[in-house]
Formats: sequence, structure tokens, C-alpha cells
Amino acid sequence: MYRLALNMLFGDRAKLAMLLCGLSFSALLMAQQTSVFFGIMSWTYTPVVNIRAHVWVSDPMVEQANDAKPMRDTELGRVRSVDGVAWVAPLHTSFLQARMVDGNFKLITLVGIDADTFAGAPAQITQGRIEDLRLPNTVIVDEWGAQLMGRPVKGPDGKITNVPLKPGDVFEINDIEARIVGICKVRRAFTGGPFVYTTYDRSKTYTLGARRTLSFMLAEPVAGVTPAELCHRIETETGLKAWTTDTVIWDWSERSLAKNTFWWFWKNTGIPFSFGTAVALGLFVGIAVSGQTFYSFVLENLKYFAAIKAMGASMGVLARMLIIQAVTAGLIGFGLGAGMAQAIGRVMIEKGMPPFVMFPQVLLATLALTMGISIVSAIIGIVKVSRVDAATVFRG
Amino acid sequence: MSTNNPIAVSARKVEIAFGVGEAKIFALKQADFTARRGELIMLVGPSGCGKTTLLSVIAGTLTPQAGEIEVFGQRLDGLSQAELTAFRQKNLGFVFQSFNLIPTLTVIENVMVPLLIQGTKHALARSKAAAILEQVGLKGREESSPNALSGGQQQRVAIARALVHEPTLLICDEPTSALDKDTGAQIMQMIRDLSRSPQRCVVVVTHDFRIFRFADRIAEMEDGRISRVIDDSSTLEIQPHL
Repeated sequence: MYRLALNMLFGDRAKLAMLLCGLSFSALLMAQQTSVFFGIMSWTYTPVVNIRAHVWVSDPMVEQANDAKPMRDTELGRVRSVDGVAWVAPLHTSFLQARMVDGNFKLITLVGIDADTFAGAPAQITQGRIEDLRLPNTVIVDEWGAQLMGRPVKGPDGKITNVPLKPGDVFEINDIEARIVGICKVRRAFTGGPFVYTTYDRSKTYTLGARRTLSFMLAEPVAGVTPAELCHRIETETGLKAWTTDTVIWDWSERSLAKNTFWWFWKNTGIPFSFGTAVALGLFVGIAVSGQTFYSFVLENLKYFAAIKAMGASMGVLARMLIIQAVTAGLIGFGLGAGMAQAIGRVMIEKGMPPFVMFPQVLLATLALTMGISIVSAIIGIVKVSRVDAATVFRG
Repeated sequence: MSTNNPIAVSARKVEIAFGVGEAKIFALKQADFTARRGELIMLVGPSGCGKTTLLSVIAGTLTPQAGEIEVFGQRLDGLSQAELTAFRQKNLGFVFQSFNLIPTLTVIENVMVPLLIQGTKHALARSKAAAILEQVGLKGREESSPNALSGGQQQRVAIARALVHEPTLLICDEPTSALDKDTGAQIMQMIRDLSRSPQRCVVVVTHDFRIFRFADRIAEMEDGRISRVIDDSSTLEIQPHL
């Protein structure tokens, strides 16, 4: 009987197409918007991903990775003295305006790292050498920044193209020369501005001798001490705040800087509301379109359901037929929608457009919601069929 | 058909009313009805006389407010909805006025429906459906869509569907109303031939006087009750309302 139920569904191609449109559009909207949301939110803790260390130490009032509250350099010694610390390196981060050769200004994220150890240096240098940062007035720019800060050049055909910055090019930070000695590959920042790496000492120069320039400290535990344990010791002995750097945002670790950054943005910005609205819209559109289409499918087939009922099909059999029809449409709609979301995601990643992170949980949640829409549609149909009197088959 | 055949359907003092108080209208008023095994009996009468209501009561799709209904020894009044459903599933075959073939299923799938409702395996249901389609002269049209068939062919599919699970009671609601004279006669001949069995009873509701000759008996209804029963259909005077 259930095979016939599917044949009934697939036999009405116009209704099926409409039903699948509703379901797949809904699944697409939910999966795509959620993935872009998580992509954007994953940018919020970019510093933790780009600047690699097992433990970050900050001022106790710091709430997230983009919220630097400068400390005195003397704090380095205090942290270094904590039992279990293998090494500690200073880190400076600040937002500054960089002046390009053509006079244009760009907002950059200046990252000052320890010149001796290069702790916190980018993992992938695609052009140049990290050691060249020890040369005077030198910086390393990330690929996105090199592109963003590139020079517009008029070609022989009159077409203007953007030529990315390369080692040897120069720009200014607070009227001080910054000569590029390398290009690195790092994850993009939430602010959209490029990362410009220099040494910690030179960052003090670029920030025009700010009284405090120690934004964070990067620390490493000795063998046998876990990052969480070291955090606890640092906090107890120095009164500073220490963070672990695991980037799983749904674990229970209270010390994770990435997780705290993610949830800080969740609570303090309108991003979740904005994307949540789009996801809810997808859900409601799905319920409205699919529910309405499925209801109309049931209405159109009502006299046949009544005939099947008269022939002795129980309401349980009819309900299962409707559920199978709705769930099958839901599964196909989910497949189409999630597939389209993946395809759009690939294009977005290739074009360097807004980030796109499709967690398996996103797919599972989309599947669950699409199934929810299908079940709601099925229930609407079941209610209608349950109310139809088998005797109506004799009324013409 | 022998008048000594055992009773297949018996309705005694059946009442169905709609509305309350002064607006109460009786669709069936103390109606008595009997049909015997091996018999093809027709229910005739003017519109609104209660034919369809009585048919629904006999078919177990409508429960009477008073009276007794017995079909092949089974009392239907007092059965729960689930029991009535199970009874219909096993014992009843239906031929509807507008065929009620599911257009998105093929001919053979439509015929398989009563068997699949009973839980028959798909392959067995398919072979039984193919066999009965051959009997009604539709071999080779198994995979056609019902919409691709003529009215007469569609009604033949409906007859095949009604008989495929070998029910004891065949209920036909205006089986020829959508058909021309010749096709109607062919369909009635088929119903008569295929359903003629000592263990089966056929109840036909009709307005179509052209098919009266196929009946063993004709029960005429008026104002919610059987007004007379005619044993010889050739003697039936053709009424203007028929």
C-alpha cells in the first residue's frame, strides 16, 4: 500500500514539483543562511586561529579575542614565574590606519609578535621569510590584505586592474614606513581588514609609543601540564585572565577564548537575530508553501482517500500513507536544498565572498526542520482525511 | 435465483435522521430490507428517498440510529468503527458512480488496492489483479492510466477492483449513470456474470430503468422506507422519477 502511496505522490508531477520547490527552498534558506552565519561567526575568533599558542593571557576584564585591554610589559615576568610555564611571549594587536602609496587609507589589524621566538607568527608564509621581520621597518601582510591594499594600474587596453602588494612594496602606518618582506596566508578577520604582522617592539613604534602595548601574552605549558591547568595556575597566581585556544565552540570549556568570543558576539550583536530571522523565514515559508501544497494534494485526492477508507483501509494505514508521502517529499526537498546550499557555498568560497561553514550539525538540523515541515504537512492532511466520511463516496 | 436462498443482507426498522427538533428529517424511517445470497437486487426510487443512505448503512459506512443490520450473519449495528472497517475490508466490494479510480496510479495498481489494504503481498496482489483484468477484457491495458481509458473501460476496472478480493457483498452505486445505453448494458451484464455466485449478493442503487432487466428483484423506496418489492422486473411500471 505504501508503494502505491509513493506512486500517487510521484504521479502528480505538478503538485510534486510545487511541493519540492517549497521544501527545497526552505532547506536551502535554512542550510545556506546558517552556514553563512557560522562562517561569519567563525571569523570573530580569527585571531585565536591565526596566532597559534596553547594559552593566551589577558587583562582580567577582557571578554573576547578582539577586545584587547593593554597591560604593562612587566606582566610578562609575572606570568613567566608561574610554575608550569615553559615560555611566554608578548603579543600586540591594534586597529590602525595604513596609508597607501596612492594616498588612500585602509584599516588594518596590526599584530606585533616576539622577534626572538616569532611566537604567534602565521603558519604559512607564501612569499618572503619570517626572519626578515627583524630588518628595520618591515612587515608581513596577509594575501587578502595584499589584494585589498593593492595598486590600481591602467593596462594597455585602458582597463584598470588591481595589482596586489608584494615583497618590496611600501606603505605607511602613522607616517612611519612599513616595507613588505613577506606575504602570508591566514584566515580573514571579522572586521574585514588585513592582518599586518611586525615585531612586538616595532608595533610600539607604529602605535606612536602608546603607554601600554601588551595586548595579550602567549604561553606554553611545560610537558605534563595541560593548557587548562596552566590557565588555572596563571589566574590564581597573577590575577590575570588565561584562556585555552581550542576552537570547538560547543564544548563545555569555560576557558576557551574562541568559544567565549563566539558567544560574546552572539549575545552582543544583532548577527544571530538577523540570520535567525532568515532561518525562521525559511522555516515558515517551508511550512506555508509545503503545508498548503500538500493540503491541496490531499484535497485533490480526498475522494480517493474516502474510497480507500470505504474499501476498508484503517485510519492508521491512511495516516502512514500520508506520512510516507510527506516524508519522502521532505527527504528529496532536503537533498535538493542542501545540495544547492553546498553548491552556493563552494562558489562563495572560491570567490572569497562571505565565509561559509557547513557543520554536520547544520545539515542535521536542516534535515530535522525539513522533516518537521513534512510532518506538519502530513498532520494537516491526516486531520483532513480523518474527518472525511467514508459514506461520502456514495454522494457522487 | 431461488427465494429459498439464505438471507445475505437484512435491515430491520432502520432509522437515520438528520437535524434536531422541528428541523429533524428522516432519511430512513423504520426501513426494512432483505437481500438473499446469489441475488442481484436493485434499489430504486426518486432522489432523496433514502437509497444512498440505506446503501451506506448496508455497506457499514454509516451507522443507523435505530434498527438492526445484519450482513452475511454479522450484526453491523453496535460494531466499533475499527470492526466495521475490518468487516468492509474483508466482505465488501464497491463500484462507484464516478468510478473513483486513482488517476495517478496505473490500471493494475488501482485493482490491487483492496488486496494491499488486506495486507496481501505486492507480487501476489499484482498477479490476482492481472487475472481479473483479463476476465473483464482489459488484458494489455494493465499499465495504462485510468484517464487513457473510455468510461466503459474505467467502469470495468472499477468492477475488477470491486471483485479482486472476492467479497461476499458487492455494492454498486449508480454503476451505469456515466455510461451510454449499450455500454451500460455491457457493464451490467458483466456485473451479473462475474458476481453471480451462491455465496455472493449484489445490491445496486440506480435511477437507470434501462438496466432493471438485470435485476432478480427490485426494491422501490419512497420517503425513507421500502414501499414495494418487485420480483419480476419486466412487470415494473416505468415511473417518471425513475
